[in-house]
Amino acid sequence: MTDIIHAFLDTILPSDQTLGVPSGASLDITRPTSRDGIEQRLADVATLIDQTAHDLLESDFVTLSSEDRLKIIEKAKRKDMRLMTAMIIHCLRHYYTDPRVLRCLPAGAVPPFPVGNQMAEDDWSILEPVYQRGPVYREVTP
Amino acid sequence: MEPVDVVIVGSGASGAAAAWSLSRNPSLKILCLEQGERTDPANYPTTTAAWELSRLGDASSNPQQRNGPGDYPIDDSTSPISIANFNGFGGSTILYSGHFPRMHPSDFATHTLDGVGDDWPFTYADLEPYFTLNEKMMGVAGLVGDPAYPEYDALLPPVPLGPMGRRVAEAFNTLGWHWWPSYSAVNTRSHGGRAPCINLGPCNTGCSQGAKASVDVTYWPSALQQGVTVLTGHTVQTIEHDADKRVSGVHVVTPDGNRVFQPARIVVLACGGVGTPRLLLNSKSPAFPDGLLNDHDQVGRNLMLHPLAFTEAVFDEDLQSSLGPHGCCILSQEFYETDTTRDFKRGYTMQILRGAPPAETAVSAYMSRRLPIGPDHHPAFSKLFNHTAGIAVITEDLPEPENRIELDPETQDATGMPGIKVHYRVSENTKKMLAHGIDKSRQVLEAAGGKVTTAFAPVRHTGWHLMGTTRMGTDPRKSVVKPNGQAHAIDNLFIVDSSIFTTSGAVNPVATAQALTLKICDNLQDYLRQAS
Repeated sequence: MTDIIHAFLDTILPSDQTLGVPSGASLDITRPTSRDGIEQRLADVATLIDQTAHDLLESDFVTLSSEDRLKIIEKAKRKDMRLMTAMIIHCLRHYYTDPRVLRCLPAGAVPPFPVGNQMAEDDWSILEPVYQRGPVYREVTP
Repeated sequence: MEPVDVVIVGSGASGAAAAWSLSRNPSLKILCLEQGERTDPANYPTTTAAWELSRLGDASSNPQQRNGPGDYPIDDSTSPISIANFNGFGGSTILYSGHFPRMHPSDFATHTLDGVGDDWPFTYADLEPYFTLNEKMMGVAGLVGDPAYPEYDALLPPVPLGPMGRRVAEAFNTLGWHWWPSYSAVNTRSHGGRAPCINLGPCNTGCSQGAKASVDVTYWPSALQQGVTVLTGHTVQTIEHDADKRVSGVHVVTPDGNRVFQPARIVVLACGGVGTPRLLLNSKSPAFPDGLLNDHDQVGRNLMLHPLAFTEAVFDEDLQSSLGPHGCCILSQEFYETDTTRDFKRGYTMQILRGAPPAETAVSAYMSRRLPIGPDHHPAFSKLFNHTAGIAVITEDLPEPENRIELDPETQDATGMPGIKVHYRVSENTKKMLAHGIDKSRQVLEAAGGKVTTAFAPVRHTGWHLMGTTRMGTDPRKSVVKPNGQAHAIDNLFIVDSSIFTTSGAVNPVATAQALTLKICDNLQDYLRQAS
């Protein structure tokens, strides 16, 4: 099952050398996002995509090309939309909260926060047109 | 338990302000009972990179999802808007965004001005000194001179616009519409012994920097120093009154499950727009068989939630939009006041939101088929993250008796106290307002050069602003408390939170709720002097 899930993660979230982001397969996505366990859902996804690969291409999922794996994942989604969508969302959440990924994004400071983010001083003359209109609230006389 | 002069139920925005205000009188023995637990800023989710995941669990604004020790069951399944809150020391200010505008003068006279809702029993001018005091206590950033308000005295420097805020502000200027830097309960320089904001982005899972003005770091340190005692994990189940219709104290379940009675000369309720009516409805007696103060079937009615519309746009440029305090950037009150050429009464605030953090960006874009998986994922993501701006339209929600909460005999919290059911529908007036708000939000975002990708209303998980369920007024048949927060039916029972709002305005309610609390507590000191 581990090999299938690794191949699944590497397919949906491949590494990108231009951006410097790692493959989803290099991350630990078994951390739970809620009080539900993740292990059974991972097993169900592995079974579904491997079975789909056998049914359609008569091959193990892990031996397919990236292109064919992606097609199989899309087919598996049509078979069990709820399971596959939930798993992909789970993977996205864990991928984009991993410090190694965050440091590759223009996400500013990454926790733990020894420093924050500098933001430019504002030129408040931009409010001149708003001032010029005068009051826009309703006066209430008792 | 030892008798006290004042027992305050709830330690959130209003409970904290009440504790501070009343404890300026050193002769008073004051106890605050909080059913939730303390949070530790050193362990807030933002101290870890995976902070976004906490919004699915312990730091969720949805009490059913969070299921924390102080939470109670809320059945809002038939409401288009679900209830959001936080039950713990500091209340919902722990998770709020700190967007802190005042209500407008016209909000206090909607019936006189527009023939809708009801007038408050006092005016904006009556509340103004308390707004000012509260802003000093909390630490509010902004800019004086806003033409949408009477003059403010002083504010901390405004939060930074950032490239996204500047872009949207320029669009408002192009359209000739009002905008202003947000009134933000966020330190932009050191204030009250707290550090300034360092523009990390997430405020809604607790501010580990201490820059956001949650009341655990504003009012409470002073209140504790002034001698107030706080007991967390203590659930008040019922309020007891005597034959003379005076409250004698509250029945409490302690953390170890013991049931005790806390005697008090005065009871002050500050459990919020859902918690306060829940406690009253659960306090039944022969004199009040349908719940305390519910002799005219008013407790729990007139629930107001500020139905919210959300519009989001994507821009070609990286606008660094995820940096800066998430809920605080700029606001527009161009459409706040009634305009007789429109097909609805009253109006709304447009609250410009900074861009979503990475995981939220990825998930929402994937779910709306704007973000693929596979080899095209990363290039597509890089065109979304930090490229978005959102506008939340906060509409005035007019009071309607049918919108209400009631006890739910089918559910119970950990102490055996019933949960609640929410009965709520969005009015036709509000639906028109939401549609108008979406249309105007689109115009702004398109004028800013964005492509609108999301626009809908009402947004379900936005029932933060809980108001009106024990409303204030002069007629005991139509209200629960007097203009000074004192219960019509019981002299020594006061309510100080947003549940006594007569109408809702169209702004985040905490600034007004706390100013109201301070005003009531000044009156309460007079009451105490006379009583002794």
